[in-house]
Amino acid sequence: MIRIEQLKKSFSSRAGKVQALRDVDLAIEPGEFFVLLGPSGSGKTTLLRCVAGLERPDSGEITLGTRVAFSSKQRLFLQAEEREIGMVFQSYAIWPHLTVFENVALPLTQGRRKPPKARVRERVSEALRLVEMDDYADRPAPLLSGGQQQRVALARALAINPKVLLMDEPLSNLDARLREEVRTKIKKLVGELGVTVLYVTHDQVEAMVLADRIAVMAHGEILQVGNPYELYRNPKSPLVAEFFGSINWIRGKILDKYCVETEIGKLEIDFRGEPNGKVVVGIRPEDMKIDSTAGDRSNRVEATVSSSTFVGDQIIFEIRINNSVLTAKAKPEGKSPAGKVSLYFPKEKMVVFPDVSPPHLSLSRVIVGEDRLKD
Amino acid sequence: MLTALFFGVPSAWIVERTNLPHKGLSFTLMTVGLLIPGFLSAMGWVFLLHPRIGLVNVALSSVLSAEWARINIASPVGMGFVQGLGLAPLAFIMVAATFRSTNPELEEAAAAHGIGFIRSLIRVTLPLIFPGILAAGIYILTIGLAAFEVPAVIGLSNRVFTFSTYLYTQVHPQEGAPRYDLAAAFGVFTMAVAGLLSWAYFRVLRQGHRYAVVTGRSYRPRQVDLTRGGVWLAWGFLGFYFVLGQLLPLLTLLWSSFLRYFQLPSAAAFANLSLVNYRGLPWPHLLDGLWNTAVLMILVSTLVLLVSLAISWIVVRSKARWRFLLDAVAFLPHAVPGIIFALSAAYVALFLLRDFVPIYGTVFLIMAVYVLERTSFGTRMLNNALAQIHPELEEAGQVMGISLLRRMATILIPLLLPALVNGWLWIALLTYRELTIASLLVTPANVTLPMVIWGLWQTGSFARAAAAATMGLIFMTPFIFCYWFFGRRLAPGGWQA
Repeated sequence: MIRIEQLKKSFSSRAGKVQALRDVDLAIEPGEFFVLLGPSGSGKTTLLRCVAGLERPDSGEITLGTRVAFSSKQRLFLQAEEREIGMVFQSYAIWPHLTVFENVALPLTQGRRKPPKARVRERVSEALRLVEMDDYADRPAPLLSGGQQQRVALARALAINPKVLLMDEPLSNLDARLREEVRTKIKKLVGELGVTVLYVTHDQVEAMVLADRIAVMAHGEILQVGNPYELYRNPKSPLVAEFFGSINWIRGKILDKYCVETEIGKLEIDFRGEPNGKVVVGIRPEDMKIDSTAGDRSNRVEATVSSSTFVGDQIIFEIRINNSVLTAKAKPEGKSPAGKVSLYFPKEKMVVFPDVSPPHLSLSRVIVGEDRLKD
Repeated sequence: MLTALFFGVPSAWIVERTNLPHKGLSFTLMTVGLLIPGFLSAMGWVFLLHPRIGLVNVALSSVLSAEWARINIASPVGMGFVQGLGLAPLAFIMVAATFRSTNPELEEAAAAHGIGFIRSLIRVTLPLIFPGILAAGIYILTIGLAAFEVPAVIGLSNRVFTFSTYLYTQVHPQEGAPRYDLAAAFGVFTMAVAGLLSWAYFRVLRQGHRYAVVTGRSYRPRQVDLTRGGVWLAWGFLGFYFVLGQLLPLLTLLWSSFLRYFQLPSAAAFANLSLVNYRGLPWPHLLDGLWNTAVLMILVSTLVLLVSLAISWIVVRSKARWRFLLDAVAFLPHAVPGIIFALSAAYVALFLLRDFVPIYGTVFLIMAVYVLERTSFGTRMLNNALAQIHPELEEAGQVMGISLLRRMATILIPLLLPALVNGWLWIALLTYRELTIASLLVTPANVTLPMVIWGLWQTGSFARAAAAATMGLIFMTPFIFCYWFFGRRLAPGGWQA
């Protein structure tokens, strides 16, 4: 439905040229819910705006359905108003001088394809009913709450019956509880309508809940495309692993195949690499087992629990092994482990990457920040 | 300039930083002076303080019977005082903006560390806003340099010249041919000085940004609680300015318009009140002026807004590389004194365009110059207004298939309407009061209302000029009221809520 090939876009700023998109390739199937996920400045919004026609790419090609929307080879650029897409903006962009009804109707009465008047009324009412805003049709837009504005924006985008719906962080201005509620509603609604969605967010939980497939972006490049499970379990790079939930990194050196000497001792792994090659081993906090008898005897390490924090549905442990500090999570069942423990690292849950450069580790702080703890 | 700052800065502080009741009224008192033509209050001041016939001077000398007590308004100091009163609202607006953008937390920090109110005002607040005050001072100096109206009304008949009035006498000499060559040379000199001052202004302004506190969150400046006495004092100060700057001269003007020859208010004088001056007005001429002025007000305001909207939209919204250049060009007339502008327009019309576009002596020449000059103001205003409208509001329309012109009509213009109405009235009023540019471009065929009044004044018919001025004031009252009304109701950015 949406095909993007070799898309390039740069901005010139005071600091010089910034490459916002570097050779982006993407193919989105009809009816798919596709999420662009990345930290701010990764180019995801730029990519969305290029698809919308609000930014003109430097080179490459964009195809919407069967229509070429942009092609640097054919010197072709369809204006945004010719692309027949629906879009929900981060600020909602509800026109404040109009009522709810007029907001939804304006693209129909002033747009390119003008349905007859009676049909407009029908379509607007239908769209408002879909988002459960039909009781508010005559309300002036400035009197709406954030959540209501968000729904009107969605209704407006759907009223023109678009084949493609673009959404630019539509939930980022809602509070956490409302966000969860709206998230499920959007998923259900667009699923029923069968519209193709391209959705931009920086929230990996939101991405995983909504998406059929996710593209993880950073520095204007697509790092990996896949469904939520693949991205969580089989990240192709440390950056992607970082982006989907917290993860502990342990540096090490390959001894021989399937075995690595690390800061915390020898670990058996599912990874073949050159002997003596430097690697980083990643394991998610919930995958480490504390004082468990499960699994085999190997991959067990003596450790000390230095602190534990109870957060309701789980306990977060800070664990020391020699000089390394790791984070582990467990369900609060039975007696909470403390003091000296034995820590088990399941072989199949560990991810291993060549240790190309130390910046990966420091980068994690930049990308993840503190908000990971809140989730 | 000193007079302007003396009145402008404290009133700005009072309005922005104290809890004075009826802020709206105090704001109006300070700013209405911008709309009332400066030459009208200047005329009032002449009636008050003219060395021979001035009301105050006559009263003083009859009481004190002392020649030394006479105050001569027709001196550089006197003219400066009157001009300063006229420019005080400008100082007020500029400094008020500075007060608004200083972070009150800086003052609160001073208070928290045990620094008293007066000390913190002197040691913290004033240094913080000093660049703002300095910038306002330089800006006012630039305007004062090229000011024409006040010196023309007060000084010209007494042969006390300033830059601009001297220039005027070269172009419109009482005898002999116009000395265009001399005027041009003199104009270049004036422009150089004005340019220098503008440069200084921008330097100071940029320095001022070092202190500017830019935060995303909005805060309410801390307000000082006034005591009862403080309220009286504050109102007294604002009222004093209003009486001195507007009420007194205008009332004097009104008074004198009903008298055949000027005299002090007394029982005898009341008996002499008559409409004779009004009957004696050159009505056809006056109506011509009124008609021309009305045409100018409507055409100029509309054209300026159209041109400014186009320019501002390109500057703020488009990604064209030359947009900053366009912005600078649009702003340029701001740095050029109006009288210089008019002079060069007269040259162009007289010597370059005379044969193929016979525009000299028509109202359209004046219109063209007004539009050029006011566009710098119009773009400034619309740039601000546009920057407050989120671009996504337009993009939403674009993505949903609404074409550019329809987007303008159904989204942008309705959203900008408050700013547009405000701007239209403002420009119309500025056009109405304009004397400087008109004075150089007017011929009998394209006379404007202010020029009719001034013409009467110049030929010594003071009383009849006062009568004409009163008529003019009556004519503009509904506009001022409109401006005030809409300005409050449709404040720019009112949609933001």
